[in-house]
Order: sequence, then structure tokens, then C-alpha cells
Amino acid sequence: MSDKKIIETGEAGKGQTVISGAANTEELEERALSVFNSERNEDLTALVLCLATTFIVLVFTKWLV
Amino acid sequence: MTRTSENMPVFIMSGLLLIYGLIASSDALLPMMQYLHTHKTMDMQITMSLIIAVIGITGALINSFKKPGNSTFDRFFLQPLGGIILLLLLAMFIRWYAEPMVKIMSKALAPSFGFEVYKVLNLNYVILGLLVGVIVTNTIGIPKFAGPGVKCARFVLKMGVIMLGARYSFAELAKLGIYSVWLIGIFVLGTVFLVLWLGKIFKQPKTMTGVLAAGMGVCGVSATVAVAPVVKAKSEEMAYTIGTILSFGIICMFIFPTVGKMAGMNPVQFGAWAGTGILNSAQVAAAALAFNSVDIKTLKVAEIFNITRVLFLPIIVLVLATWFGKDSGQKLSFKTVVIDKFPIFILGFLLLFGLSSAGLFSPPQHYKGKYIDVSYSERSQVTDEERKVLGNALQEGELSGLNESQLTAVNDLYKQRQIAGNFDERDNKEAFAKTGRDRMTELESILAADKAKQISLDPEVKGAIAHAVKQVHKSSKTVTVLTDCMIWFFAFGLIGLGMQITKKAIFQAGGWPLVIGGISGIVKATLSFFVVLWLVKDVVLH
Repeated sequence: MSDKKIIETGEAGKGQTVISGAANTEELEERALSVFNSERNEDLTALVLCLATTFIVLVFTKWLV
Repeated sequence: MTRTSENMPVFIMSGLLLIYGLIASSDALLPMMQYLHTHKTMDMQITMSLIIAVIGITGALINSFKKPGNSTFDRFFLQPLGGIILLLLLAMFIRWYAEPMVKIMSKALAPSFGFEVYKVLNLNYVILGLLVGVIVTNTIGIPKFAGPGVKCARFVLKMGVIMLGARYSFAELAKLGIYSVWLIGIFVLGTVFLVLWLGKIFKQPKTMTGVLAAGMGVCGVSATVAVAPVVKAKSEEMAYTIGTILSFGIICMFIFPTVGKMAGMNPVQFGAWAGTGILNSAQVAAAALAFNSVDIKTLKVAEIFNITRVLFLPIIVLVLATWFGKDSGQKLSFKTVVIDKFPIFILGFLLLFGLSSAGLFSPPQHYKGKYIDVSYSERSQVTDEERKVLGNALQEGELSGLNESQLTAVNDLYKQRQIAGNFDERDNKEAFAKTGRDRMTELESILAADKAKQISLDPEVKGAIAHAVKQVHKSSKTVTVLTDCMIWFFAFGLIGLGMQITKKAIFQAGGWPLVIGGISGIVKATLSFFVVLWLVKDVVLH
């Protein structure tokens, strides 16, 4: 029989979630507060979106004027 | 079966934005915007409202007819859409209505209080956003439809930190000279280690101590956001850190100018001290102006010392990643710390800082997108009337109170119609720029002397000189827009961050972060006071 743990994910994480006892609770609590599966994905997406924003801003404020 | 009723909140919010955008585009809100001093953002208000309304209605329609799924489109757009629109709506309300209202009310109450409340309590979009988030979550709670959207907050905050890099440039750092950079670096790292040590003594969680160390050492909100994922800090710990830094800054804002005057510090020394000892940039500026509102050098030195700290951010991230990893009992190699643990979004910050220093957004010597351009340009010239006023004043000897170099600068302005270097020196860019900048400094000193009532200038002459000075102060549109994006990312992220903070979590943290923050802040302020008095002489700027 596998142990079960309950993690408190707060309002933003919609309350409580039951998970396997062997899981890394800290990591899961962290992820419960994000729409991304991993820190790496979150950072990479943020970087790509920022570069895209910067490019668009450059096009309209510098290169096309 | 459609799920229109479930999506009703998104329809309502988008509908409100659509109505707002349409009313604003009819100029009906212009008088109110003028009263709130937000009329310059009218086009932006209309565009943003209409675009978000269209996206919201489209998303809500798809959500009503499409079966919920687990595709990327579902997870990153359809599910969080409600929360994203709610946070955007709140961010718009704060930036366009709440913040200007707080400013107006503070100004109205200033005669009774003797100070402007919003300046003292730093009630800008950062604090207001956090407060709104905390209030919503602890009163009505996060609405069910907004839950997944609120989870985007940290991600958007990271985008804000990346964008921060675009505002600074290496040339600004080089102005200080290596000596001052060492001074700032030692204080930044010293504070970080002091907070870590105090955290150990007071038995605080590593997550709290780590994020507080970054906030107290570097510069507040951005450092807190940048370090939080490295030390796995929780939302309430981030909020506590921001609260501690700002409360400490409020006390410093009052004490620093008084102590500086009592100790007989010169403008440069005080600028260096305030820039090192106070954390929040708005509070640094307030203290510098309170100490000396006439000599521009105080504010300039304080600001440069202050921003230089931001550039230590990547180093602090490395230090804290190593400390956190070691304390968690992990084996750490160079590769683990630098490659595996180093957050990618900080690399993004460095990338934008690099692009900014290379001059992609603005001439490389810019600071927050502002730079001085003393090259010949029709756009920098004063008007014919202003030139005539200056010519008459010179001929009729109205400028008798000026010293020789100030008088020469006015004469040169009359001859050249603008502030610029010498035509003969145009091939030697450095000498050309130096002559132009020297002339600008002389003209600025005339305006400062008039402000301090040391001389009395004719209003028309003063207007002409002020216009000439303003004309060479250029601002990069690219950096201005990128900064605006950064502010929106921070506003959105901080409201979401506030929504993740419950009363229970705040009480659990207790008052220890305030104690640790207070002790480390006082130690840093005292030590930097003596070091600045001892080491910093009159000229630190190259």
C-alpha cells in the first residue's frame, strides 16, 4: 500500500491535493502555484516572450520610424 | 451543451472593457483623465481595453462551445483566461485610477499632514497592486474562474525582471570608476552575508532569509522576484521582504537628510551614502532631493550608486544559489551552480542589459533611456524669439550676476542657437561632447542659482535657457516603451502575488523578517556613513 500525502496548495492552487507519499512535496507545492510543469519551461517561455516583445517594440519605435 | 454560464464572468469583464474603450474613444472621459493626469495615456487606454475585450470575448466563446481539454492551447490560454483578464482589469484600474487618485488626495492633504502621504509610504502601483491582491484573497477570496490565471503571476513577474535589463547600460557603471564599484559591491555582498547570518541566529527558514538577503542587499522588488525561485521562497515571504524594505526605506528617507546635514556632508558624499544605504530607488531620490534640491549632483550620484547595485543581481543569484544548495545538503560543483541552478530568466536580464549597453535601444551612454545629445541638430535649437531674448539680455548687461564661465556659456548658446560642442572639434567626438556637456552644466548651474534665489533671472531668459537644456536631454522611445511593458508586467504579477498571500501565512511568518531587515539595514547605513565620509571625496564621477 502506498502512502498518501495531502499538500496545501492555497486558494490559487485550489485548496488541497492528495499525492503519492514518495513525491517531492516542495516541488509540487511550488508547481501548484504555476501553470508550467517546470521552472525551466517557465523561464524559457518568459525569455522568448520578452525577446518577442522587445523585437516588436524595436520594429515600431526604431526601425520603422 | 454550451457552458456559457460558466464563462459569464469573462463575458462581463470583457464587455466592461469594450464599453470603457468605446466611451474613452469618444473623448467623453477626457476631462476626468485630465484631472487625473492620465490623458497622455488615452490612446493606450483605448487600444488596451479594446484588444483585451476582443481576446476575452473570443476566448470565452471558444470556452463555451469547446470541450475542456489538456492541450497547450487549453492550459496556457483557455483555462487561465478568466484570471488573466481579472488581473489585467485590476492592473488597469490601479495604474489609471487608483494610483493617480492616491497622488491627488495626498497632495490635497499635504497642508494638514505636512508631507505627501503617497511619497512617504511609497504608494505606487507596486504597493497598491500587492495590497489589492491581499485584500481580494482575504475578503471575497479568489473567484473560481480566476484560479488558473492567478498562477501566471510569477511567470509574468519574471518577464518584468528580464525587461529591467533594458533600462541600464554598462557606460553608466563605467562612469563611477572601479573604486566606487568595489565600494558598492562590498556593501551589497556584506549585507547579503549579514542577513544570512542573522537568519541563522534567529532560526528563520532558509527560504525567508535567502529572499530577504537579496532584497536588503540589492534593491528591493526586482531582486526579491529574481532570487525567489532560486531559494524556493513562498509568495508571503516575497511580500514580507518587499514590505520590510519599503518600511525601512521610509524611516531612512526622514533620517538620512537630517544626519547628512548634521555631519556636514557635501552633496557628492550624501548622494553616495543615500545611494548605498537606502534600497528603493524612489526613496533614494526623495532623500537626495530633501538633502539638496538645488545641486543636481546629489541626486545624480545617489541614482548612479543605486542602479549600480542592480547590476550585482546576477552575482547575488549565484551566491544565494550556492548557499541554498549547500545548506540543503546537495553536492555542488561549478557546473551545478552556474549551469543547472542559475535561473534562465536572469540570463535574459543580462542579455537585455548587454543589448542595451551595445546601444541597440538607445545610445550606449543612456540611463533609463535618457541621454544627452549635444550634436548639431535643428531639433535641439531654441526658438528665434528665445534667441532674441538671450541676445538682448547679453547686450543690455542683464546677466551681471553670472560668473565668467556661466556668461560664456550663455554667449555660446546665443551664437550656436543650441547647446553643442565646438564646430572645429567636430571630428574629435570626445572633445566635442565634453565641450557641449560643460556648456550644459554651466547653464544648469545658472538655473539652479536662480532657483536658490542667489541670482534673479528675467523669466523670459530663464525660459530660454531651460528650453535649451531640455532640448539636449533626449529620451529613447524604445526604452520608454520597454519600461512601460516592464511596469505592466510587475503590476500584473504583484496583484497575482498578493492573491497568493493569506492571513494565516502572514501571521505564520511573525515579525522576525522585520527585525532581521531592521538590524541589517541599520548596520549597512551606519557603516556606509563612515566609509563614505572617510573615502569618498568630492569627485567620483568621471
